[in-house]
Amino acid sequence: MSGRTDGTAERRGFLRALGLAAAGATAAGAAAAQTRADSVPAGQARKENEQQRVAARYRETDHVKAYYRTNRYEH
Amino acid sequence: MARMKFLCDSDRCIECNACVTACKNEHEVPWGINRRRVVTINDGRPGERSISMACMHCTDAPCAAVCPVSCFYTTADAIVLHDKDLCIGCGYCFYACPFGAPQYPRVGNFGSRGKMDKCTFCAGGPQQDNTRAEYIQYGSNRIAEGKLPLCAEMCSTKALLAGDGEIIATIYRERVQRRGYGSGAWGWRTAYRETVSI
Ligand code: SF4
Ligand code: SF4
Repeated sequence: MSGRTDGTAERRGFLRALGLAAAGATAAGAAAAQTRADSVPAGQARKENEQQRVAARYRETDHVKAYYRTNRYEH
Repeated sequence: MARMKFLCDSDRCIECNACVTACKNEHEVPWGINRRRVVTINDGRPGERSISMACMHCTDAPCAAVCPVSCFYTTADAIVLHDKDLCIGCGYCFYACPFGAPQYPRVGNFGSRGKMDKCTFCAGGPQQDNTRAEYIQYGSNRIAEGKLPLCAEMCSTKALLAGDGEIIATIYRERVQRRGYGSGAWGWRTAYRETVSI
């Protein structure tokens, strides 16, 4: 989770910097679009092997059971 | 093995777009991309109906069949994911998808669209561990945290169901039996080649 927060802060920081650099707004806007949803530098991307990437991820935890239970209340 | 599915109970959806907003916020989906959207038919007229749509995580996904670089893979619990380090942004998957799910961060042809982005069933990408690199590319991995898709968990009217296909089909079946009507499991025949029999 901490890694996730870091990433978020970094991107938000980037956008804040964009806001300050009002002058080059158009060019910088294009750069912002490339930052998210695209790839991270290849060196940072770790790949798990084929078996690990298709392993089942879903678990029927208490959280998930509570979701099913509360959805049953509704008609 | 549980098979993950979405089911939008369109008799309950009020087109509030909470699911769309929850998704955008959870994954910091960039401007111009919507992983989920709400489609309304007969808007403002009798028979109005809204359906919340995203990638349905199809059986034998058509996107995977057309991808020239084979970036799609289906997990054992039937979540269709893709690898952005392989994606070349060709746009074939957008044309193949019956639900219009694949989105691209930029406009242009021949790779200039950027890496495709779509609903991950809140299951992240190739790495299952919520790393920073993974979050930047694919968003959060709620499934790894033992949770379900946020869009479904946040649905204001409990219209959008997500999770084990058999369990959510049972929930929908019970609802239809109690209230006496139901317009069917939208998209199921296309995505999963089955329907929910009441
Ligand atoms: S499952 Fe997650 S990624 Fe997919 S539409 Fe819902 S919130 Fe967005
Ligand atoms: S949050 Fe629920 S009721 Fe609101 S638009 Fe989405 S599916 Fe419909």
